[in-house]
Amino acid sequence: MKPAIEISHLDYHYPDGTPALCDISFAIAPGECVGLLGPNGSGKSTLLLHLNGILPEKPAGGGAVRINGEAVAAHNLGAIRRQVGLLFQDPDDQLFGSTVAEDVAFGPSQLGLVPETVSERVQSALARVGLTDHAHRPPHHLSQGEKRRACLAGVLACEPTLLALDEPTSGLDPRGRREFKALLREVAGTKLVATHDLELVVELCPRSIVLDGGRVVADGPTVELLNNEALMLAHGLERPHILRHIHPHPSLAAEPPMRSDGGENFRPVS
Amino acid sequence: MHIPDGFLDAKTAAVAAVFSAAGLSGALYQLRRELPPRRVPLLGLGAAFVFAAQMVNFPVAGGTSGHLVGGALIAALLGTPAAVVVVSTVLIAQCFLFADGGVTALGANVFNMAIVAPVVGMAVYRVVQRLIPGLRGQVAALAFAGWCSAVAAAIVCAGQLAWSGTVAWSVAFPAMAGIHMLIGLGEGAISALVFYAVARTRPDIVASRPAGSLRGFLGYGLLATLGVALFAAPFACPWPDGLDAVAAKLGFARRAAESNWAWMAGYRLPGLGSGGAATALAGAIGALVAFGLAVLLSRLLVRTPAEAAKPAVDR
Amino acid sequence: MKDAPVFDQPPNRGVRPLIHRAPAGLKLGVALALAAGTAVVPVTWLWWHAAVAALLLTIVFMAKIRWRPLGARLLWFSPFVAGAALASALQGPAGPGWRAVALRGSLCLLTMLLLGATTSFSALLVVLHRIRVPALLVTTLALMYRYLHLLSDEAQRMNRARACRTFTPSRRRTWLISGEVIGRLFVRASERAERIYLAMAARGWS
Repeated sequence: MKPAIEISHLDYHYPDGTPALCDISFAIAPGECVGLLGPNGSGKSTLLLHLNGILPEKPAGGGAVRINGEAVAAHNLGAIRRQVGLLFQDPDDQLFGSTVAEDVAFGPSQLGLVPETVSERVQSALARVGLTDHAHRPPHHLSQGEKRRACLAGVLACEPTLLALDEPTSGLDPRGRREFKALLREVAGTKLVATHDLELVVELCPRSIVLDGGRVVADGPTVELLNNEALMLAHGLERPHILRHIHPHPSLAAEPPMRSDGGENFRPVS
Repeated sequence: MHIPDGFLDAKTAAVAAVFSAAGLSGALYQLRRELPPRRVPLLGLGAAFVFAAQMVNFPVAGGTSGHLVGGALIAALLGTPAAVVVVSTVLIAQCFLFADGGVTALGANVFNMAIVAPVVGMAVYRVVQRLIPGLRGQVAALAFAGWCSAVAAAIVCAGQLAWSGTVAWSVAFPAMAGIHMLIGLGEGAISALVFYAVARTRPDIVASRPAGSLRGFLGYGLLATLGVALFAAPFACPWPDGLDAVAAKLGFARRAAESNWAWMAGYRLPGLGSGGAATALAGAIGALVAFGLAVLLSRLLVRTPAEAAKPAVDR
Repeated sequence: MKDAPVFDQPPNRGVRPLIHRAPAGLKLGVALALAAGTAVVPVTWLWWHAAVAALLLTIVFMAKIRWRPLGARLLWFSPFVAGAALASALQGPAGPGWRAVALRGSLCLLTMLLLGATTSFSALLVVLHRIRVPALLVTTLALMYRYLHLLSDEAQRMNRARACRTFTPSRRRTWLISGEVIGRLFVRASERAERIYLAMAARGWS
């Protein structure tokens, strides 16, 4: 089976010449959820922007980045962007519509779908993220958590096979974080989550890749990597508390995952 | 300077609307051809920026404060056609969201503040910037350009009020021009301060401003000149007697005002003969003072000679 | 400059009144017709002015618009009336007279305020798009509206942060600081515009 994401020896320099990514190589199978970790400035966001051809500024198509087997090149950006859903770090950059519904409809209408289909997609995306009641609200009236969910809806409405998320839980209060985490758990498909939220990675991603200075310094099972205190500290991270009180090789099924019913109540899934 | 409804008569509002529609369409057309898609959101954000910037207070005296209008500044930062679209957008939104400026006067307001102000500002900026090299030159040029744009817009506004018969030229012109010669100092100073702040932290943003086609700029210049000629020149004509006769025939209010309230007709330096020459002299003195202040400001702001020598943009 | 529009949100009391639910294009057309008409009809046609005033007051009542902010906003118009009165006094009997200006101006102002109170800006933009206003202008209006609050909040936060570290305020320092704040605001706006372009491109825009 073709990997969902295949990066081979990817290099990238910023326009002023500073190297940003050096010889990055990894592959992600369809359906995998992978965490992308690293200190600030390690190149995580830059790497994500390569997945749908936003970077490099002129995609050469050399095959350094392949999505579902297809090399990202200037001529197939449209097709690539249909498959890759990218969630940006600042929800205000992504929520540029005048109302939530209008913003979520942006992607489907760019796909050329008829208005009825666009409408259906908008409604189902809003329902999935629990924002149906907020459809006609302007974005500046939403809370940070609601904005992030609206961004997710906007991306889900395009029905991508692959989700790339840049710091999805930053700036969220604990409830917002719980709700977003529960949403992400429910979304099927391949996921690559660039984040500082180490506990999120432990809970969601069985595998992690660590970047530092534009290079891949580690790639393996999340718990193993994050338990490696020396590795973590060497690359600007740390061993998260969630692992300090658990045996180094926990079975994650030992603690039942919690699901939010959209309000204050959490019930274990059983 | 937002003219409310009820101050302009039908013909003035209609003519101004035609002029501003022409200018705005021209700007949109030019942008559609020249603006790369990357920079499209910059127009909307630029408009939001102008709006937000207008809310920042600059204390003047006592409890009063002034604020930026931004025509010349945004022209210097984004180019003339972008400035026309951006300021028009702000005016349209102010009209419909805040009822600031009448909807029938929208054409006139757009013409004054979105076309005359940026075009005059940009023309002055380009000329002065060539005279004085380096960043100091750009800052001085923008300070003076800000002043000129405020005064020019005010004069055209006075002309529109006079042509509508709402306020006589002899009252409107000195009031508007006089007040804006003062307000323009603030506008110029603030524009220069902001430009300097941007140029210092991100010179690349200033440098990436589009060069702008000369033909396009001449087009706006022509439109602006026609408008000024139509709205203001008949009143500012240095041969008042001939115009008086014409005015009397067409029933303008000016004639009555002139005879009763000649003393109010502002810029008459005592001892000088013809009213027209005196007005021109007063205006020239005002402009020189403003220019001098602009150069002074640039010297105060841009202190290091090294900084002064190299411009923020190599044009 | 005034605060954010008082009328930004429709009243939340129960079912929205009929006026709010009427099509935006209709409301825009009516408002423009009323304003244009009021601005051009001779002052002596008192029946026109009375009819328009009656219609507007009916709308205020039916649409359950709050009186106080409306009245406050109308008062903003008074300096203009005063200016017109002064000009009239100075220029003698020729000219329309300040009362005419006040009447016309107030009626048109009220019309536009009611339009703003009963119609959402996004709905107006849809109307503009339908009547073939150039897409670039509509997009600019839409993005401006969307990011207006964000940028003014940013400006306010920057001002506050600066104020926290200003121990000896002076007018000169305030000017320099405000200039810097606006300058940084522009830089941030440009950077955000760039990121918005990326977000639009990521969802297929070209």
